[in-house]
Parts: sequence; structure tokens; C-alpha cells
Amino acid sequence: MAVRDILLYPDPRLKMVCDPVPECQELEPLIQDLLDTMYEAGHSVGVAAPQIGVPLRVVVVDVSASKLGRKNNHGCLVMVNPEILEREGSMTMREGCMSVPDYTGNVARAEEVLVQFNDRDGTGKVIRAVGFEAVAIQHEIDHLDGYLFLDRVSSLKTDLFRRKQR
Amino acid sequence: MNHYALTIIGRDHPGIVSRVTEILYRRGCNIADSSCSILGGQFAMLLIISQPEEESGEDLLHYFAPLEEENLSVFLRTLRPGGEIRPHLQGELCMVSVYGSDKPGIVYRVARELGEREINITDLNTKLIGSVQRPVYVMMLEATLPAGMSVEDLEQAMAAVAGELQVDISVRAINPVEL
Repeated sequence: MAVRDILLYPDPRLKMVCDPVPECQELEPLIQDLLDTMYEAGHSVGVAAPQIGVPLRVVVVDVSASKLGRKNNHGCLVMVNPEILEREGSMTMREGCMSVPDYTGNVARAEEVLVQFNDRDGTGKVIRAVGFEAVAIQHEIDHLDGYLFLDRVSSLKTDLFRRKQR
Repeated sequence: MNHYALTIIGRDHPGIVSRVTEILYRRGCNIADSSCSILGGQFAMLLIISQPEEESGEDLLHYFAPLEEENLSVFLRTLRPGGEIRPHLQGELCMVSVYGSDKPGIVYRVARELGEREINITDLNTKLIGSVQRPVYVMMLEATLPAGMSVEDLEQAMAAVAGELQVDISVRAINPVEL
């Protein structure tokens, strides 16, 4: 459908708690936009609906093409109304976010998560994600509650990501 | 706009940051980049500041005189144009941990090895821990490798230094991820 602009902090829409998606709501255009936006960014492994200005609980995650997630992943994940049921372990990664450019920080998150969600077809699913995929899922779900990685960071580092030229 | 490097250090006590930033605020200075920490019993502030009013460094320093009376040492350096801009470092990023029985030359020996290889240290912290009888030295640093150098290359070089100094050194890649 379309690559959408990523909202940048301090856009207030990034700090809002998103609404659950009601049953039967048509989501296909939104999902396609999220996927297009994620893949167009090149290095991105996830986008949450509020990052493109839609206050609904929808995220997409795909770590399969990244070095860190290649081994352990569920491919392209479309998650509607995702909920983390269980968290286990802890790992720290140097995270950055497309909505907070040029900053990275060390964030400790669960190493493993059990997540319940509806997929693109509305089918209920539960998956166990580990490592980088688990971190990406937690980062994206945080967006649905108005949390940025800056709320989770233990130390800040400046770091410029090489962006894909448009 | 003038940019300055400002360094302030003195015996730690509550209120130092407030005193310093009040002066900066009243002079219309912006804090662009800063790092402040307690080192030993001293509180050290390192700041890159800018001032739209283009006061000379000497004039600006004058406003910090009251701090000197409170036993804080103040250094101000006027930056050349562009000196405030962070260089774009392209190479692989890694973290090096060095620790072992305290002895002279640990930092120098490791830093020399890095410098000779054009490895750029971007962050460095050291601490003396352990007991008085058995002091342990810990150094943590972050560095950017030059183009073409891998973390494994650095690991190999550090293994040789670890053997020579009889300390433990580990090297690991930091992969910043944009989510």
C-alpha cells in the first residue's frame, strides 16, 4: 500500500496508550502500511501502529533478515492486540528507535517472552520468542502503551544509524 | 554561536550541578553535551556548551569566579568552529573489559595497543576495587574499530596483552539495533 512517515518524538501520539482493536475491524490497509514502512526502512525490524499515527494495538516484527535474529525467529509477525503472558530471563541490548533518531541506550529486557495475539487473519496465536525477536516484540509492544526505550534505558549513548537514502 | 568546553571539578557535595547550571542559564548558555560523575571524592563535570551571545571565553569565565571560592576548579576552553560536532564513526563498535591484580601500566599498555591499531576509544571508565591487601583494577572501555578490522582481530591482540600483563581481558561486539 504505502510507506508512511515515522512520527518523531516529541509527537504526543507516541506517548498515548493505544486502544485495543475491536473485533471485525478492517485492518488490512494498516497492516500493509506497517509492513511497507518497516521493510522500506531497511534496517528496521519492527514498527508499531502509533509510530505511523494510528492509535491501535497493532505491531509488526520481522527479525529474520538481521544478523542477530537470523537463527531464532518466527519470520514476519503481524500482532493484533498482543499481550505478553510470561517473561523469563534478562538480556541487555543497545537499542535505538526510528522515532528517537540518533540516540541509543542500553536496555535490559526479558530474554524470552510468551506472547498472545491475533494474526493477520484474525486467528488467535500464542508464541514463545527468544533473544533478539523477544526484545523487538517487547520494544514494539511498549509503543502501544506510550513507552519509548528512553523510559527503559540504563545509560544513553549517541549513535547515528546509517539511514537508507530515499 | 560560540561553543566552549567547560570542565568543573571539586570535592563532592550536594548542589554543585545546580550552582553550575544556574550560572549557565543566567548567561544564556545551552548545554549541548555533557557527562558528570563522582570520581573518588570529587565531582567532575564535563560539558560542551554554546552561547548565542558570543561573549568571549574570558568574559564568560568571569561569571564562574564564585565557584572557585567554593573550591571548585573551573576550566573553560573556546572551541574552534565545528569542534562541537561529533565525528561520524563508521567501524564496528566493541566493549573491552580488563580486570586483574592492580599493577602499574594496565591502562597505558591496553591503550597503546588500541592506539597503534587506530582503534578509537569513545568511552573509558576505571575503578580500583577489592581489598587493600588484594587490590583489583577494573577498566571498561568502548571503542570503534577502523574499517576492515574485526572484533576477532582485536580479541587476538588483547589476548597477547592479557598474557603479558597477567590480567583478564574480554572483548565483545556491541550491535546497536534500531527497532
